[in-house]
Amino acid sequence: MSAQAMPEAAIRIEGAQKVYRSLGKREKHAVRDVSITVTKGTIHGLLGPNGAGKTTTLKMLLGLVRPSAGTFEILGEDARTLSSRRHVGFLPEQPYFPAHLSALQAMRFYGALAGVPEDRLDGEVMTLLERVGLSDAVRTELSRFSRGMLQRLGIAQALLGSPSVVILDEPASGLDPVGQRDVRNLMLELREGGTTVLLSSHQLSEVEAVCDRVTILNRGLVAAEDHIDRLLDVEGSASVRVRGIDRLPEPVEKVASDVAFSGSVWEFSVPDRAVRAVVDALDDAGGVVLAVQPKRESLEDYFARLLARSAEEVA
Amino acid sequence: MRSVFTIAKAVFFDSIRRRVLLAVLVFAGIMVALIPSLPDYGIGVERAVFGEIALAVTFVASLVVTLALSVTRVPAEVERRTVYAVLARPVARWQYLVGTWLGTFSMIGVLVAGFTAVDIAVGAAVYGTPLWLLAVGAAGIWLEMGVVAAFGIAASTVVSPVTAIVAEAAFLFIGHSRATLLGEEGALALKAFYPSLDAFNIVAPVTHGSGVPPVYLASMVVVFVGFVGVLLTVGAMLFGGRDV
Repeated sequence: MSAQAMPEAAIRIEGAQKVYRSLGKREKHAVRDVSITVTKGTIHGLLGPNGAGKTTTLKMLLGLVRPSAGTFEILGEDARTLSSRRHVGFLPEQPYFPAHLSALQAMRFYGALAGVPEDRLDGEVMTLLERVGLSDAVRTELSRFSRGMLQRLGIAQALLGSPSVVILDEPASGLDPVGQRDVRNLMLELREGGTTVLLSSHQLSEVEAVCDRVTILNRGLVAAEDHIDRLLDVEGSASVRVRGIDRLPEPVEKVASDVAFSGSVWEFSVPDRAVRAVVDALDDAGGVVLAVQPKRESLEDYFARLLARSAEEVA
Repeated sequence: MRSVFTIAKAVFFDSIRRRVLLAVLVFAGIMVALIPSLPDYGIGVERAVFGEIALAVTFVASLVVTLALSVTRVPAEVERRTVYAVLARPVARWQYLVGTWLGTFSMIGVLVAGFTAVDIAVGAAVYGTPLWLLAVGAAGIWLEMGVVAAFGIAASTVVSPVTAIVAEAAFLFIGHSRATLLGEEGALALKAFYPSLDAFNIVAPVTHGSGVPPVYLASMVVVFVGFVGVLLTVGAMLFGGRDV
């Protein structure tokens, strides 16, 4: 690929390392070697079990933690410079805010720090509070906010100043299902508007639903990185859904795997080369074929398999 | 500079809500009101004694508030992680520290001004004339508390609040012990480097004399700026090198 055709990177992390050293104790490698490139205008997922180094990597990118090694760029600028952070919004994991402030006061405070001009500040604050569903709690003191409301406020403050890059650490944490759906929609809206989103999450369904590309970290290393479809599509297999039959025809049974029956619908996997014969057999048996599509592994399964493999390699 | 003032404003209004402030205000108010009921002194001495005690109460009260506010702010923000949403923005760590100091210093300023207003009002009620010179002495106390606050904030970026408060008390003690520790002659050459806070102690001339000349006040401000500048620079370097 020529240099001109390379997609523009919103975030570039190369060879990030973080080693914690303290007197009389063993060195702790929180991040061993992490490189991530997030393309502009995409949603990039950052996955990994607890202690994989996700949050430390994000903190190094934002200058909250001093890296032991590595380079960090945001929109082409060295992330150590303050100017690089003018275009970034950040939602920390389980965000905390000064409890005595109201939502309006907190947003005005963070808006001023984000560099939103004074004359536009109130308008932007009200728009964002409305966008995250907090317009009824504008003057409520944060000490009276529920966990979910604080999370919504955290998302709103991350969007102050219309950042080009938004970094969200567990944005769905503490939210009810409706709130989680709202966050997913919000991320999709941001991408629609050209904003880049780097999403660190344990909610695999959320990542699978919105991310274009994912990086999976384990033990401070990149365990996998690719487009989500390429990670999850199972080469050479198709998924078939059929109804209207009590049992699978014998030729189908022979080649089918991962068979499940629920609500009068059969679902199973077959090799690509057997798809035509399987469909014919189902048709002959009086079944109604609902769908035939490339088999896709769930992110949960992929994630578990990857981590198990890593554990075996370490052992 | 907008970041510095935004943080300072937030620190100021947060500090007003602290219970320690209310407790100190009530205690100091009672103390000042009781000063005139102390045993009688000779004619001409009464006012001076009143001024000395009033400034001493102001000093102790503002010191308690300074110690409480300066060493707890940064560790609490790091501990509660409220600092993330601030430092992940285009806010340098030195701006955060200077803003924190400025907010604390402003708070102490309001406190000292309040005490001084009460001192002058009580003095006027008891002796018939307002003791305006007390305001000059109080200004010295305010500047000194600004230096102490800068030390506390700088220390609290790397050590716990308890350790910082002990270090702050030690700094104050050392700052007022130049004559005791260096002696009058033996280590005279070291005096130039000694971090003395005696420059801010103008209680005697404002209570027993006719005040201090403007040039002295100006030089006191220079000393203040020098101390605060050095301490906050060290604090910013220490804070800049640590993870939050």
